[in-house]
Amino acid sequence: MTDHLSTATLSAFADGELSSEQAAAAQEHLDACLTCASNLIREWRLKSAIIKTGRRFELPADAEQRIIDLIAKHPPSDATQQKPAPASSMTRRNWSGYAGWATAAALLIALGFSLPSLRRHEVGAAAIASEVCDLHIAALAANEPPQVVSSDRHTVKPWFQGKLPFSFNLPQDLPQDTQLDGADLRYLDDRPVAQLLFSIGRHRASVFIEQRNGSSQPGVTVTHSGFQVIETATADLQIIAVSDADPQRLIVLANALRAAQAHP
Amino acid sequence: MVLLPWRRKVRGTEPVVSSFADLALPLLPALYNLATWLTRNADEAEDLVQETMLKALRGFASFEPGTNFKAWIFRILRNAFLTSRSGLQAMRTVALNDELEEDGARGPRLYPESIVNRRTPETEVMRIRAADALYVAMEKLPPPLLEVLLLCDVEEMKYQEIAMVVGIPIGTVMSRIARARASVRKELEEQSKSRRGAGI
Repeated sequence: MTDHLSTATLSAFADGELSSEQAAAAQEHLDACLTCASNLIREWRLKSAIIKTGRRFELPADAEQRIIDLIAKHPPSDATQQKPAPASSMTRRNWSGYAGWATAAALLIALGFSLPSLRRHEVGAAAIASEVCDLHIAALAANEPPQVVSSDRHTVKPWFQGKLPFSFNLPQDLPQDTQLDGADLRYLDDRPVAQLLFSIGRHRASVFIEQRNGSSQPGVTVTHSGFQVIETATADLQIIAVSDADPQRLIVLANALRAAQAHP
Repeated sequence: MVLLPWRRKVRGTEPVVSSFADLALPLLPALYNLATWLTRNADEAEDLVQETMLKALRGFASFEPGTNFKAWIFRILRNAFLTSRSGLQAMRTVALNDELEEDGARGPRLYPESIVNRRTPETEVMRIRAADALYVAMEKLPPPLLEVLLLCDVEEMKYQEIAMVVGIPIGTVMSRIARARASVRKELEEQSKSRRGAGI
């Protein structure tokens, strides 16, 4: 084997920064080259160690307070308030306007979703919801395409091999007027997750798939920023869908993802 | 059945308005961490974060909602560092060739075939005082390499975001990160040799 992967390619592969074509070519080489495969493992180990060592300096409490005081000394004004977000996606929705949610909720129960006890997990769930909304908005706002641009489940699923500590299935048939656009590797609450990007009609949706943890609570939630966040789970996986599309259609998509785990 | 929304108290009809504090305060620990790595001094790091906050406050009106606030404020911190005394000194002493040398670009030159299935400098160092060894290795990185490495691995920024923060092309981000890791690996190897020589 003479044409080994360059250090830059290995490094970018470890970071999940190669294009889908480059990653596929690198993966093909890695499958056949023990040296490069070994080097990739070393790259991941080093990256993991750098993450831990890099978070070394903790902000002292008194320093934090001084900075907070500094910010507080500047009274709120137009110059220090963020402009309202675009109305199309970021405008708050009036809760009373969610007439369709009653139907959606009924559908949820029919599909086997359970409602969580938000009192118990409200804080964690809110944090996760904020994070998935941020990731979804970032995906909408980004000028660059996702790391995998494909509507083919046979392209998207294999791309995650070696990147996630679990595997998942994509449905053979998606709901009507729903299309897979691509995927990204993301980190949610410091855990690697698959972000699957869909179009539901003219709306965009993100579905995050991660390993189910002990605290996960399948259920339904709504965010204040106008995005619906729907959470469901299998025995092993947590599935979180976020979109500003019709909640019923988002539920159908999430359910299709959940069903696909039982029927590859 | 009752569907409980999150943060019921903030619901309303008025548009979303995120205050500067809402966006910036959660990033304070990360900003301070990077500032300390760059300045190598706790007091200077705090000053740098304060300066960053003031500059960000003043410029917040120009920040576009929906764009990447984290990248935006890290760019301010980085620029503030560059114009600081320690930043000017640090950057003045570094001359970077952002093109990977071909000799160093291929795997086998840095990762000889013989290392497969053998104890490597990294694994050995990680076994013995891993964090200390790695800290020393990272501390020796020149700021242009250290900053991209920290933004990538610690702040988990994508190359495009790092390019925005540092103001360099994505290809340069890629080569600098690779060089940073190669430099860290080389330093770990030297530390490992030194320990073996000393019988540790």
